[in-house]
Amino acid sequence: MKAIGYRPSSLLILALLTLLAACGDKSAPSTVVVAASNLASANEFKVLATSDLRDAQPLEDMVLKATGVKLKFRFGGTMESTEAVQNGNADADAAWFANAKYLLSDSQGQARVKLQDKIMLSPIVVGVSESHAKTLGWDKPEMAAKITWKTITKAAQDGQLKYALSNPATSNQGFMALMGVAAAASQKSEALTAQDVDRGAISGFIKGYKLPGDNSTYLSEKFIEQQGTRVNAYINYESLLLSLNQSGKLKEKLRLIYPLEGVATADYPLMLLNDSKRADYQKVVTYLKGNEAQNWLSQTTLRRAINPEVARAQLGLFPQGSVMVELPFSPDRALADGLIDAYLNEFRPPIASTFVLDVSGSMNGSGRRQQLVQALQYIAGDDASLTGRIARLTSREKIWMLPFSESPQPSTYFEVPAGKPSAKGVQVQTDTAAKQAVLVKVRDYAEGLTMNGGTALYDAVLEALKKMNAERQKNPSYQYSVVAFTDGENNKGRGLAEFKTAYAALPEDVKAIPVFMVLFGEANERDLKDLVTTTGGRTFDARKASLYSVFKDIRAYQ
Amino acid sequence: MKTAPKAIVTLVLLAAFGGAAYFSFRQTDPAASALGGLLPSVQTTELNGFIALDVEPYFKDPRVIKLLADNKLRVNATRIGSREMAARVVPGQIPDFFFPSGVVAANQIGDAARSAKVSTAVYSPFYTPMVIASWTPIAQMLSANGIAKEISPKVWDVDFAKLTQTMLDKKRWKDLKESQAYPVSKSVLVSTTDVRKSNSAAMYLALTSFAMNNGDIVTDKATAQKTALRVAELFKRQGYQENYVNGNFDDYASIGIGKTPMAFIYENQMVTYALQKKGIGADMVLLYPQPTIFNKVVFVTTNERAKALGELLSNNAELQRIAVDYGFRIGDSAYFAQTVKATGLAVEERITQVIDPPSFDLMAEMIDVISREMGQ
Repeated sequence: MKAIGYRPSSLLILALLTLLAACGDKSAPSTVVVAASNLASANEFKVLATSDLRDAQPLEDMVLKATGVKLKFRFGGTMESTEAVQNGNADADAAWFANAKYLLSDSQGQARVKLQDKIMLSPIVVGVSESHAKTLGWDKPEMAAKITWKTITKAAQDGQLKYALSNPATSNQGFMALMGVAAAASQKSEALTAQDVDRGAISGFIKGYKLPGDNSTYLSEKFIEQQGTRVNAYINYESLLLSLNQSGKLKEKLRLIYPLEGVATADYPLMLLNDSKRADYQKVVTYLKGNEAQNWLSQTTLRRAINPEVARAQLGLFPQGSVMVELPFSPDRALADGLIDAYLNEFRPPIASTFVLDVSGSMNGSGRRQQLVQALQYIAGDDASLTGRIARLTSREKIWMLPFSESPQPSTYFEVPAGKPSAKGVQVQTDTAAKQAVLVKVRDYAEGLTMNGGTALYDAVLEALKKMNAERQKNPSYQYSVVAFTDGENNKGRGLAEFKTAYAALPEDVKAIPVFMVLFGEANERDLKDLVTTTGGRTFDARKASLYSVFKDIRAYQ
Repeated sequence: MKTAPKAIVTLVLLAAFGGAAYFSFRQTDPAASALGGLLPSVQTTELNGFIALDVEPYFKDPRVIKLLADNKLRVNATRIGSREMAARVVPGQIPDFFFPSGVVAANQIGDAARSAKVSTAVYSPFYTPMVIASWTPIAQMLSANGIAKEISPKVWDVDFAKLTQTMLDKKRWKDLKESQAYPVSKSVLVSTTDVRKSNSAAMYLALTSFAMNNGDIVTDKATAQKTALRVAELFKRQGYQENYVNGNFDDYASIGIGKTPMAFIYENQMVTYALQKKGIGADMVLLYPQPTIFNKVVFVTTNERAKALGELLSNNAELQRIAVDYGFRIGDSAYFAQTVKATGLAVEERITQVIDPPSFDLMAEMIDVISREMGQ
């Protein structure tokens, strides 16, 4: 697997957001960073886009050439971007999301958006490995035409469908897939409510959820790696799955299944946030909806054109079949929030992870210890924001804290108790007293960390992996991972080469446990990327963003 | 949205009736645009007025500017929401004319003018009916179930009372007879924009309330409340509704029958689309509700000088015909029909079954009830 660096642009946003949040009054940006960024980009047309739009980045040059507008993309996760726009912290002239219905079903969100135009379309579909589709009988058109989210749920429940999907709590694809399952199971012909959610169907569907992640680049790489062994299906946008099929990187192509009466189409609204950039916005929209851009988007990104003439002309690029009947979207926030909350705290395979914490002496400098303590306290805190609720420790979660300096120290175990599930439907649960008590213990633990000595990082990571693998044998129903955090070079115990040798000697199963490596301070980026290439997982860069925001990101991969 | 305060509903309603067709997001821009462009000659009369967004592209059209100049008129038109116009009847600052969308906004201006002892004259040079954009297989299914009828090739009348009843009965498409072309378990529902924000949805409310009130216009508060409670479900059951004016039509035109089998729109949205694209998609058809409502753009003058403009807009054949390019109907219905026919879109040339919406107060009452229901 290729190691992927973390997206620096979005880290910068997070840093800016943190500053904005810190100074409170966004109308009077008083920090130097914000002021400088405004100066540098005064004549840019800044667009906050969801990260699935990365492949549309060449539009920056195309728009500049055609209209003279300096379009400048910045990418972020769906929920994180939704939160930024809703709170007026987007620091962008426009936002471009795959789907903005969650944002726009709220009056606060609506008030931020001055104009909106849909640019293109891509339905969320299920890509099944061709040989596996054959096994299921889904390769036959007459069978494929009848597949609903119910069929998919049943296959997942029976262990026949093992899929990759981005996190339902942070991504549009994941969330809409859950909505599809809920809608199909409810038998309701129209807008669902939180009460209608069939809990059995959700938990059945989740049984097949074998490969989580947040960003599609990461997920696609993992999917390519694990296709045929751990996973046989990938739920994502049609555009992404068609692109994968064209890439030649798959072990075998995917057959696309369009769930009968359950297609959720991303419609990519470009939304004007800054009214003073209205003229630029209109130029950009006119260009994006024009033939040149629409043809380019269809051919290069394999999204369907919104411009009907281009759509007709490019129809051949897309699988043809029966009418795609759209899944109705319920504007009920109680449903959306309840579903996300229940997914995290009740339905998803609970998280089991070891936090490998660098408590070497260097952590005492530059407020690093304080950042670590605060980040741990945040995830054990009560941040109720859209992204905060994803970062929080979830019910049923197991955590081992494994500090290391000269050598790995004894680990401390915490287990967050399960809540009381709703009897019917889904709803946001308040913390039980027992959960609160565990969270307090985690916060106290963080406060008690003391730092001194050297950095035996690889020994600690190896120990954590062994521990998680042993736990996994005992309790395979959990989702295991190692989160490792260091601020300096490894200078005690095993070196990287010895680590790799030791890793290779571990049982094969350990490969199912990714390592999420956080770079901080003087951490050796090259070596750490090398490490996650060996173990699977990825690096996250906390050198330019707050550690807490990076922890938030990692949670979406766990 | 939680229970909307009465004042807000009233504002929305003013917008609604004002036929601020482009309310919601597009409407929030108070951007004044000075139109005109030709230097006034000595004899030229300069007129200042407020116009609705519906007619803004018309006044920006160089042909219109030239024709007005040929007639010694120079027009400075500023686009504001139709709902805001009555408030601009301020003695000493009254513009020469208003051009709101919708009869009720015009009436509001008229009332304000009477209070200010300003006499007004009213012209309605163009209008557009409310229609349902749909698809041939859907129209055929409705026809097989006695709800619609093809009155001339590709022009369908729909019995709105029957359609409303089908929707209230929670019929699914697959429950209908001869549903093989669309054997879908979605409910039969017409898609609208958000009634709390948009005029076209308020017009839908007016039509459904008429149907549910046994073909009578709602005239009392008790009936309004009772009717609104039932109509609310026709909005609520749609799920997420687009909250910008073109959203509903955009979904119809680009996502298609799978998302939007029927969309409640202004006819001029479809006509403009057909004229711009020089054609329409296969199977796209218009269903004409029986009865329907006309959305009129109403020209209100506040002085003698502006009457010349009202006369020209209403009677100058060229100015009238240019309005057709923006999808509006004019007095010359044959010209309208013939222009549209060239695009392949079939329209009903003469619309005879037309009603008026309930009074302003009763509409406010009904929207208030629905807002409360939808907030739950």
